[in-house]
Formats: sequence, C-alpha cells, structure tokens
Amino acid sequence: MNNFIFNSKEINKIKTKSQKERDFRIKNLNFFNKNGFPNKRQEDWKFSDLREIIYKNFKKLNTKIKNSKIKKIDFIKEFDHNYIIIVNGELHSSNFKFEDKNKIELKIFQNKDFSEENEINPLICLNHALSNSGYSFEIKENYKFKKTVIIYNFFSEDLKDNILNSRNKIKVGKNSEVHTIDFIVNESKYKFLNNVYENLVLDSNAIYKNICIQKDKSLGYFHKFSKNKLLSKSKYSTFIFPSGFKFNKLDLEFNLEGKDSECNLESASFLNKNDHQEIKTKMNHLAPNCKSYQRVKNVLSSDGKGVYQGKIYVKDIAQKTDAYQISKAMILSDNSEFDSKPELEIYADDVKCSHGSTSGNVDQEAIHYLMTRGLDKKESTKLLINGFLNEVIEMIKSNSVKNFVQTKLKKQIHGY
Amino acid sequence: MLEIKDLTASINNRDILKGLNITIKPGELHAIMGPNGSGKSTLANVLSGKDGYKISGLMKYEGNDLKKMSIDERAQKGIFLAFQYPTEIPGVNTSNFLRTSLNKVKKAKGEKEIDSLSFLRILKNRSSELGIDEKILSRQLNVGFSGGEKKKNEILQMKILEPNFIILDETDSGLDIDALKIVANGVNSYRDKKKSFLVITHYQRLLDYIKPDFVHVLSDGKIVKSGCMELAQELEREGYNKVRS
Repeated sequence: MNNFIFNSKEINKIKTKSQKERDFRIKNLNFFNKNGFPNKRQEDWKFSDLREIIYKNFKKLNTKIKNSKIKKIDFIKEFDHNYIIIVNGELHSSNFKFEDKNKIELKIFQNKDFSEENEINPLICLNHALSNSGYSFEIKENYKFKKTVIIYNFFSEDLKDNILNSRNKIKVGKNSEVHTIDFIVNESKYKFLNNVYENLVLDSNAIYKNICIQKDKSLGYFHKFSKNKLLSKSKYSTFIFPSGFKFNKLDLEFNLEGKDSECNLESASFLNKNDHQEIKTKMNHLAPNCKSYQRVKNVLSSDGKGVYQGKIYVKDIAQKTDAYQISKAMILSDNSEFDSKPELEIYADDVKCSHGSTSGNVDQEAIHYLMTRGLDKKESTKLLINGFLNEVIEMIKSNSVKNFVQTKLKKQIHGY
Repeated sequence: MLEIKDLTASINNRDILKGLNITIKPGELHAIMGPNGSGKSTLANVLSGKDGYKISGLMKYEGNDLKKMSIDERAQKGIFLAFQYPTEIPGVNTSNFLRTSLNKVKKAKGEKEIDSLSFLRILKNRSSELGIDEKILSRQLNVGFSGGEKKKNEILQMKILEPNFIILDETDSGLDIDALKIVANGVNSYRDKKKSFLVITHYQRLLDYIKPDFVHVLSDGKIVKSGCMELAQELEREGYNKVRS
C-alpha cells in the first residue's frame, strides 16, 4: 500500500545536524519502506498483526500535525507532584517545584548516537528515520526526589490520521531515586498512531519506579519500544495499567548489566470491546546475582485481545540469577482472546528461573459464594474482576497513588 | 418459615434428592445428619439457589416460592448459608466486602446504608466475640485463612447480616474443640424465637454444643427418620446403617 510509504522529503523537513545523521535516517526509512508495517509472519508480531490493523483502520498516515494546542491541563489533585508536560510527543513545559533544580536536567531530546545495531523492527526504524521530538530527563548523582514526577502525555484534539514519532531518554544517576507516573491524556476523537522509542539508564544504586496509566479510553494506536539498562545494585520497577486503547504494544527490553540489579514489572489491564494490548518483555540477565519478576494480569471482555510475550535470557556468567514470570488471564467472553508466549533461554547453571501462564473463566463457585451474601451476578463478577486486578495494585506502596489507580481502574470496569 | 414438600434435585442426570419433606417453624433448630453422598450438601446448595440443579417439588420460604427467587434475592430476604468450604476470593478485602454485603441486605430491607465508621464498630464487636484476629479482616476474603478462621468468618458474616433462616453446612468439619465451642457459642447467642436453623452435620459432636429441637436422618435423598436429640445419640452409637434399616 503506497499510502504507507514515507517519502525521503519527510527527512528534509527535519533539521539534521550532520550527514551521518541524515544517512542514518535515510537507511532506516528505506528499511521501513521496503518492509512496511510488521505483520503476523514475523515472530515478534505473530499475535498482533499491525499491518492488518493499520490497513483496516487508516487510509493514510500524515506526519504533519495541524495544531498541537491542548484545551486545558487538568492536573491530578490527589497528591502533590512535579510534572513534565508532553504534547504530541514534544516537550511542552515542566515544573520541579519540590526539588533541587541543580540536580535535574530536562531538555529536548537530540540524538547523537547513530550507531544503533541493525534494527529489524520496522517501527523502530521508522522512529529512527522520522523522530524529531521527545525529551531527555537526567537526574544527577546522589539525589532522591521528594515527590513523584507525573509525565502528562497529551495528545491534542487536532490529531487525525497522524503518525507521531518521538524518542525519550531517562538517566538516573548513581545513588539517585525517582518515581514517575506516565499519564496519558487524549483529547483527539480520531485515530492516530503514536510510535515512541525510549532509552533508560539506571546507574549503580539508582532506583526508578514508574506507573503507566491513562485518563480515559482512546482511539489512539500506541507502540512503544523501551530499552532499559540497569547497572549494579540498581532497582527498576514498573506498574502498567493502560487499557481501553485500540492498539497498544509495549516492547520492553531490560539489560541487567550490573551485578545485584533488580527489575520488577507488574501489569493489570481490563480489555474490553475493540481493545488490543500486547506486552512483550525481554529480560536479559547479563551479570551475576540479579533478580527479575514479571506478572501480567488481564481481564478480557467482549472481543478484547491481550497478549504477553515474555522472554528471560540468562547469560553464562549470570550465575545466581533469580527470575520469575507469570501471566494470568480472566476470560469473560467467548469472543475475547489471550495469547501468551513464555520463553526461557539459560546458559548459566546455578540459577532459579521459572514461568507460568494460566487463563480461565470467572470462578462460578466464587460467584455463588458472593451471591449468597446478597450481591447480584453482575456485582459479583465486577468484584471478582476488581479483585483479580487489585492484587497488582495492592503492591503500590503509596496509598494516595494506590487510591488514584484504583479509582481509574474502577472507572474502566464500570462499563462492564 | 420453611416448607419443603417432595423436593427432588438432580445434577448431570443424576438424582440426588428424591422426595424430601421438611417443615421448619420460626425459632426451631433442625439438624440433618446423614452418611457421605446422602444429599446433605445438595440440600444446602438447592436452598441457597445454586445453579446447575434440576428441581421439582415445593419449596416455600415465608410463604414465597423459593424456586422463583435468585441466589442474591434469597440472601437479601434473610436466607444465609454458612459454607462447608468457604470460597477464597483473591483481591477482595474482607472488611470492605462485608460492608458491601451488609448494605445490599439493608437496601433490600428498605433500611439506610451503614457508614464505614458505624460498620467498623459492629465488625470489631462481632469479631471479638468470635475470637477473630482483626488482622484477618483487612486480608483478602478467605485467602490463606486456616480452616478454623474460615468457619469463624462464616459465623461472623451470619452475625453481621442478621438473617432469619440459617443453613450451617458441616460447620464443625475442620474445627478443633476450642474453635468448635466458639462457633457453637456464636450460633447459640444468635438463636431466638424468630430465627430458624438447619444444621447439617456428620457427627453428634456439634449437637452437644448446639442443641437441636429436631434431628433428621437423610439417606439416599430422603429423610428416613426424624426424632429428637436421642436420635443423634443413637446414630453415634449404632451408625447410619442400623438406624436406616
């Protein structure tokens, strides 16, 4: 489909700094134009045929955005926080009133590294070719944030059949700690595709905690590739709650490069009519004594589709690795689908690695029990859905953040 | 309060209850004893309204046709089943659930919903009467509870929801003697002229603590013998086979 081929003139619109950069962008654009959007014949995309999804839902994809104005910013009032505002992938403004500003560097992202290995994911190539916005957020050494940073990701009303390519970089310095919430607010009532490339580095002893959630349901199509590097004794934790997207694929690669580093990923989603969400993780244990834990829980209703592809790789030198992965799905409808592909690739001999995957219907015994206490069938089912997902939310330590997430989740389930 | 005539129940084409008759008046406590597979738990399930059974016969509760009432409607009208194996409900906080449940029952009765502070006061009192550790009330419903904790939690729910007709399905199973006494005290303190009980058990032991007005022997889906406490003692002494014959 010619509509989804991007002309090299698109690159002319970007202010490139060097011939090297231009060559890098052209090379990646050519790769994308040759291969197109990924389809189910590619192993990584076997459960999410993006080509089919794009062809079915878009006639064309424009890079030009009419207007990036947002109507109004509704700040989260439930708890004090710092913020970064991103509009259509571009850094808009920020406020770090609770922090020592000398310890923080936030600027528009500029790529200086054009040496990325030959990428086979066409969406990453497209991002390499066309990305021209995003942020770079760096926390210097020995600094613990006093308050959470909410990254408001706004998508403006004027977005319609657009493709957005942005890239972000987050670096947490030695002995530093930051907690962030990625909060997606979509004002557009039309379809668009958001394609993000993210790079995160945790220096030794650094702690990074993240929550990812959205305000409302959306007609947006989202793809994010995130490459995370964990140095010694660093700790990474993320809670992923988005649901209600037409398409959402989070492709997360973690490289535990330093000894004693830890990575935790938890996800809870309620996927309803026309929702399609895939989480793909690649947990690379590259150093000894590291821990990783992934738990993905999905409730699927109507024709909702959920996918979890999780791979744990343990390098020969990564002895004493402790890795665990579990996915659980509660299936409420005959038309919904959950696909799971766990993989282990282990080259060290003194490791503890396991994985599991379960899917099933609502427990009818539990429904009976709850109904004998006066709740009707719908209320009982909702309570079970909520309970199923709540197991993940309960792991959030801050009560105010936990309540905030619970309210959002209840809203998602409300329509069921 | 409860009138059952010629009740039959089958599941997956297997007949379990085969013409059961029993009438329970307000204030009475009836014990049903019977060997394994005689239909005791099926009777409890059928009375609670559990799906999957094919039923015929008459089942009247306070003059209403029980068969026409859904499970939750029965609960709201005052029927309570204390489960033999209380189901574990992951992710659902025990205390929050009990309040939701109580408010559903109150709403059905046309009463005002209870606020969280008043509820916590009631919950605290009732749980201390049953020797329930308050910590378990903030845990997930029945998840990781010991056998005794689960059974006590059932009696706690009974005392909070204040039903009129209570079915205790093998509440004594899995309880040590101390827990059995506590549970029995809980039941006894709840007995009055308006409340009726159907106590299902294998053993006379429970009936030493909860004195029944009537004892029935259930065998092969029918009540084959009825009597008083002496019948339970006879069963304990002679076994089911002899009493049945």
